[in-house]
Amino acid sequence: MTLLIGAATIGLVLALLALGVYLSFRIFNFPDITADGSITLGAAVASILLVHHWSPVVATLAGFMSGVVAGTLTGVLHTKFKINGLLSGILVMTALYSVNLHVMGKSNIPLLNESTLANQAESLATRLLGGGKSEFLLAGWTVGVRDAALLIGVLLVVIAVGLTLYLFFRTNLGTAMRAAGDNPQMVCALGVSVDFIIILGLALSNGLIALSGALLAQYQGFADVQMGIGIVVWGLASVIIGEALVGTKKIGVLITGAVMGSVLFRLLVAIALRWGLNPNDLKLITAAFVFAALVTPAALRKLRLASKPAAT
Amino acid sequence: MLDLQDILKTFNPGTANEVRALRGVTLTLERGSFLIIIGTNGSGKSTLLNAVAGTFRVDSGSITLAGQDITGQPEHRRARLIGRVFQNPFSGTAPNMSIAENLALAARRGQPRGLGWALDHKLRAQIRDRIRSLNMGLEDRIDNAIGTLSGGQRQALTLLMASWLKPDLLLLDEHTAALDPKSADQVIRLTHEIIQRDQLTTLMVTHSMQQAVHLGDRIIMMHRGQVLHDLRGAERARVRQEDLLNRFDAVRRREQLDSGVADLLQSHYV
Repeated sequence: MTLLIGAATIGLVLALLALGVYLSFRIFNFPDITADGSITLGAAVASILLVHHWSPVVATLAGFMSGVVAGTLTGVLHTKFKINGLLSGILVMTALYSVNLHVMGKSNIPLLNESTLANQAESLATRLLGGGKSEFLLAGWTVGVRDAALLIGVLLVVIAVGLTLYLFFRTNLGTAMRAAGDNPQMVCALGVSVDFIIILGLALSNGLIALSGALLAQYQGFADVQMGIGIVVWGLASVIIGEALVGTKKIGVLITGAVMGSVLFRLLVAIALRWGLNPNDLKLITAAFVFAALVTPAALRKLRLASKPAAT
Repeated sequence: MLDLQDILKTFNPGTANEVRALRGVTLTLERGSFLIIIGTNGSGKSTLLNAVAGTFRVDSGSITLAGQDITGQPEHRRARLIGRVFQNPFSGTAPNMSIAENLALAARRGQPRGLGWALDHKLRAQIRDRIRSLNMGLEDRIDNAIGTLSGGQRQALTLLMASWLKPDLLLLDEHTAALDPKSADQVIRLTHEIIQRDQLTTLMVTHSMQQAVHLGDRIIMMHRGQVLHDLRGAERARVRQEDLLNRFDAVRRREQLDSGVADLLQSHYV
């Protein structure tokens, strides 16, 4: 049970990453590799502030803002200096590696003794339950108070972020953002600066990803300079699973789908690891999975066309 | 209303692909006039439209619209003043968004976009009313994605979007060329209605001589990046389809003459 709750909690934390990747990859069709750097940046900024005894909420928000800055940078490189989108992301991601080391001062910051959002959620839950116990029974399962508190806390954050994002996409600015990904020429003809919208979108996307990193560091109790490597592919896998789960193009449903996809993906990973999958193979398998998910729809369509040539 | 002074534009200057697309176009349009631009392929008519829209910066010359010098303004800033319909029906609408959302975007053309709701009840009612006036039966489908509609329907909606906020200038770039004849007729009828109703100043590029003689109050014929003929007033009123075709023939004959003379000179002197 602890294993499943843990996987679901990490899945929800990384759902924020999935939402960020959804924003850049699906709304703008922009493969933004900055994610690998910005998730670590969010974790690094939040952690170093926590070590210096800042309030966890402020530290987490600062993590979010650091991602906004990183995304803005990628957006500016891409739109104002006309650098290929993929390369812009790679440049910022590479630069962020050094930045992250400078922010952290070393390659790993433990947060075991700091006051984090995770610890605050735990103490709140303990107080609500009347104190003393570290576990309780739920439908016959023994559940750790800390595990349950974290799951519920993260769930609330994800619901709040998802709802905000959904509402944002229904405002004038948000509609323009979706349209800018759908048809930039039209949006430009209607008086929207596509450059500005892309910068704003990448800022928001990387802000969410850094927020995910800030929460992840507090959940797992440390920030590590390596924690972001390959993370964009995980986000992508979540988005793809989410799309397969919901199967529509309605924006609200897709947001929910990305969250569900992220949780499902983490659960699958946890189960696979439990069955004896070598953790070293995880990234290889994730990459292969994303490859398959990207290729399969087109291959299926081709097969379907080939199977009924007489129809035309 | 619109004033173009000596517009020059060369694409890919200094390379093998150099194209002198506009070679000194000067044109003045009064408020409310409807100008038809015709010309052979590559004559620069679409380039002229794009120069006004701001798709690229002109090399020299000035563009003044509604009393403002817009020569140096980027495309999205000019959109305050200009409504556009493109040749490709897919260009004017966002396919994965609903009809209502597309029109809501158009309802704020050139205005700042903040965090207010894109669609409210009032706007939805307006959208439904205006779409009903198209007589295409789309008023009950305003929450469907625009990508599911036909080219003619999309072009009609684009026209509605371009004119939702009365633009100072309407640019139509062969907006019926990619449609089947029936849809093209429908869109042309709608174009005529909208321009008449709002008294819009309009630039329209077309390949159809029929459209050229039946619409608009002035015709210019472009050739090699310059205005070759400018028909207005009584001359415009008299002109028939055959006259325009004859002028095209004359251009073509002269073109052949040019290359013929070049061959002649070459055989004598080179």
